[in-house]
Amino acid sequence: MSWSRIRAVFFRYLYVLLKGPQQLSDLFYWPLIDILLWGLTSVWIATTHIEANLPLILMTGLIFWQITWRGSVDISISLLNEFWHRNLVNLFSTPLKMSEWGLGVILLCLCKLCITVAFGVLAVYLLYSLNVFAIGVAFLPLAAMLLCFGWVLGFLAASLIIYWGHQVESIAWMIGYLFAPFSAVFYPVSVLPEWAQNISWCLPTTYIFEGMRLLLKQEAFPMHYFWISLGLNILYLSLSISIFHYAFRKSREKGLARLE
Amino acid sequence: MTSLLQVRELTKTYPSKENFLAVDHISFDLKKGEILGFLGPNGSGKTTTIQMLLGTLLKTSGSIHYFGKDFSLHREEILQSIAFASTYLSLPYILTVQENLEVLGLLYGLSRKESRKRFEPLLERFNILSYLNQRVSALSAGQLTRLMMAKAFFIEPKIVLLDEPTASLDPDISQDICSFLLEQRDKTGLSILFTSHKMEEVAEVCDRVIFLDRGKIIADDLPENLAKKSSCFRLKLIIVDHLEKTIALATKKHLNYTSDHRSIEIELEEQDIPDFLHTLSLEGIVYTGIHIQEPSLDDYFLKIARGTR
Repeated sequence: MSWSRIRAVFFRYLYVLLKGPQQLSDLFYWPLIDILLWGLTSVWIATTHIEANLPLILMTGLIFWQITWRGSVDISISLLNEFWHRNLVNLFSTPLKMSEWGLGVILLCLCKLCITVAFGVLAVYLLYSLNVFAIGVAFLPLAAMLLCFGWVLGFLAASLIIYWGHQVESIAWMIGYLFAPFSAVFYPVSVLPEWAQNISWCLPTTYIFEGMRLLLKQEAFPMHYFWISLGLNILYLSLSISIFHYAFRKSREKGLARLE
Repeated sequence: MTSLLQVRELTKTYPSKENFLAVDHISFDLKKGEILGFLGPNGSGKTTTIQMLLGTLLKTSGSIHYFGKDFSLHREEILQSIAFASTYLSLPYILTVQENLEVLGLLYGLSRKESRKRFEPLLERFNILSYLNQRVSALSAGQLTRLMMAKAFFIEPKIVLLDEPTASLDPDISQDICSFLLEQRDKTGLSILFTSHKMEEVAEVCDRVIFLDRGKIIADDLPENLAKKSSCFRLKLIIVDHLEKTIALATKKHLNYTSDHRSIEIELEEQDIPDFLHTLSLEGIVYTGIHIQEPSLDDYFLKIARGTR
């Protein structure tokens, strides 16, 4: 064993870690997200009477959140794939339009999502005898709203990536979970502090998760929650696509070749 | 000949680099069936120009017209007839050769069947057809370069932009690619814009050469004319005795030279060679070997590159 070589390996990865705040996400961001998500869930469980269908609420939240996260990650990772394969210039020196690229990615995202959700639902049923489809046909429009917000986050992450390149690639994974604590995935909005509730009600996902919990308690889904979620999604999706177009243009001003 | 590409006053300034002027008001045409060499030292603006011609880098000012149409207004329509390949780019290495080419075919509106019909003869021409179902990661650098060539040509473009397609390749593969370019031009009449650092290759393949230096076009001529512009014949003499005397003579005449223990290589103009040899004879200097090297495009390149540094 050589102490010098061990130090070499240590410094090799330390230098990577010190290359920017995004490299520090493992140290601070993910632990913080976990603390927030599971801490708030624990607070809710501890301060309320135990719900009979708590496991179903948690599992449904978990699978539903996968829909948002999947939508977000699929867009940004597809873009990063072109960086990793040094194929970005190849791709955009063809007649391909950015809108066509986006639609192609979204189409594949939908196919992958069907498989992921089907697998998740089956796994939960086999392992825990819980039927996530207990909410019935309402599943589809609710899932569509969550997916839409995933695309919003995906286009926002892609905007940062297309402009700054590899140095911000961890944003692809981080951005989705940034909104998870505020979306009330596992616990009601009322558990959050007031300032966080204000943020929460600005997110289309919050309305879906709140409504989903009502459905699971055999209560009616408040339709106005759906319409608010739809309105917010339309607004945010339009904004995020516009930001992406702007970032793509600014990136072309600097040259796409620099990203490879 | 009809001009397929017209570039006028093309300029690129990078604001983030203290307004660094990468390409400075360049204008040129690419004619039908022409192979145009784009040369210059590193950082002279060759790749920047190609990226602007592809639309992956936005110009600061000037105009680019393909087939008489403004590129900024008809990007998709124009790119349908333009192909690009570069040694410095790759293809998704997880996909097989066939999958990659089929995807590219679809981007140009070709069915997968039509793509296969077109790319298989090209892969065969480059001896890589047997790799059709192999992942791109399994290809060597030389095979990948040939695949990039097949990728550029199977869409049957009218113009091909090649950014150093033979960089870091073995001479035999480079030679094969040059032959292929000439073959394709003769067969289909397409036009090629070609950047390279290999001057012999450029002299062999290109009909015309544009020389860039610090973002400006400093020469636009036939390769042989550019070589002559370097005015740099090299006279190499092997001298057993009186080498010091010869060095002194070259120094006196203000000639550039290099020497080792028994030979001297002197740079001088063609018309001065007889006079110099006559002076040697008068001085009683005897040489046992003589070699006169004509100026080449390499000399011109070196002259510019040294000037740049």
